[in-house]
Amino acid sequence: MKRRDFFKTSLAAAGALSIGTSLEAAHQPKDGQVISPLAFPEKRPMITYSDRPPLLESPRHVFARPITENDDFFVRWHMPEIPTYIDLETFRIKVSGLVNKEFEVSLHDLKTQYEQVEVTAALQCGGNSRSAFTPTAGGIQWGSGAMGCAKWKGVRLRDLLNRAGLKKDAKWIGFNGLETASYYKTPNFIRELQLEELDDHVIVAYEMNDEDLPYLNGFPLRLVIPGTYSDSWVKMLSEIRVTSDYEKLFFMDIAYRVPDNECECEEPHKKYPTTKPITKMNVKSVIGYPENDATIQNGSHIVVRGVAFDDGTGITDVLISTDKGKTWDKALLDNGEAGRYAFRGFRYAFKPKTQGKLTIMSKAVNRSGEEQPFAKDIKWNHGGYKYNGIDEVTVEVI
Amino acid sequence: MKKLLLIALMASALFAQVKQSEEIAVPYIPYPIKMGKGFNAVQANCLTCHSFGYIINQGPQSKDFWAGKVVKMVVHFKAPIDKKDTQTIIDYLYKHYGNGKLK
Repeated sequence: MKRRDFFKTSLAAAGALSIGTSLEAAHQPKDGQVISPLAFPEKRPMITYSDRPPLLESPRHVFARPITENDDFFVRWHMPEIPTYIDLETFRIKVSGLVNKEFEVSLHDLKTQYEQVEVTAALQCGGNSRSAFTPTAGGIQWGSGAMGCAKWKGVRLRDLLNRAGLKKDAKWIGFNGLETASYYKTPNFIRELQLEELDDHVIVAYEMNDEDLPYLNGFPLRLVIPGTYSDSWVKMLSEIRVTSDYEKLFFMDIAYRVPDNECECEEPHKKYPTTKPITKMNVKSVIGYPENDATIQNGSHIVVRGVAFDDGTGITDVLISTDKGKTWDKALLDNGEAGRYAFRGFRYAFKPKTQGKLTIMSKAVNRSGEEQPFAKDIKWNHGGYKYNGIDEVTVEVI
Repeated sequence: MKKLLLIALMASALFAQVKQSEEIAVPYIPYPIKMGKGFNAVQANCLTCHSFGYIINQGPQSKDFWAGKVVKMVVHFKAPIDKKDTQTIIDYLYKHYGNGKLK
């Protein structure tokens, strides 16, 4: 293709895209947001949506690697009051409710009296990439960086429950952390999970990538539920309460829910009447390198890098397109040793052969054959949850 | 040996490593909120629980959206906002962070 022809085609494509976005329910999420010069405790400077409660997003380049460093890991709290000091001498986690023996355990005892286990798992906010939706879905307008992947170390939730001994009618487990509201009447950020949803991969973690958890990621202890969105990964976990019945709670009944239909979608002016929790993550990939607006030398050898993940079903392929999705080529995946819940790193080496704008797309496919749809094919939901469109970055080849 | 000990002591004084168990301080960020009629009610009611970042980063929204958000704060989060302030805050939010649509 002659260079002039290329420009014509890309202009036409760009035109189609801009007409398209006004009619479609989703487009590429926001990218390239300003990184606050002010670093939060134990963090590098990040995209900062709020200081109280803290809401910090990781910039795109972080996802060039399959492990997210603690200092780069995103932060999302719900309540304005977060303990800024925890005395490990007095800190206890309490197991109570429908158990034979209620008990409290210190961090020290947790580390010495139980089997220590590790799991590498991706953690993603249900509203990650919410800024992709049109009309704007309510909530923080995250780009694609409300996610990360770490190696978590702790003890199995099951072992704690076994020590307490579950009573016959035990069915639900409520998890409460130490964040608190300004008004005592505000509902606590408690999550409830059904006993049968919990497998041995669910742990109570005190370490992240071989270090203590950062305060802002839930020091000294948080729940880790591999494969599910982060809304249930309660931070600064202090209480585990076993019940027979589901208790009505704001953060379970109203927030973090999608329409209870096949497409999990609805019309902006006609909300679907029933909803369900977001729970399992869908298949997704994000390109960490190159970033949007990068300049690349024509004919030079570049390596696209990124991460892909799902709910633990397992990523089988990441496909790359450099012709706007007409043809796809397989990227190389890392060895997968980090396990099925971890970010799967991918890389794709190629040489751009034409000058001008070049769009690189990534599409992950999992073991069940689920694959990421194009952004334009994603349907709308009022909470702006579960966006998983094919990722793309556009660079300038000179 | 003595010398080594001295160096060790000096190093610990110079680079006194913060232990994780020490208190952290979350910084304050002055989000550039727009001034205008009703701002006082916004400052008095909203800031108790969340930063202005929460408002600015919702994106431009309809009047119904903002009304829904304020009502959610009262109904679900139990914010003690009286009826008069509720309307003032909704009007302020729509004027400064609205998308021009009522619904």
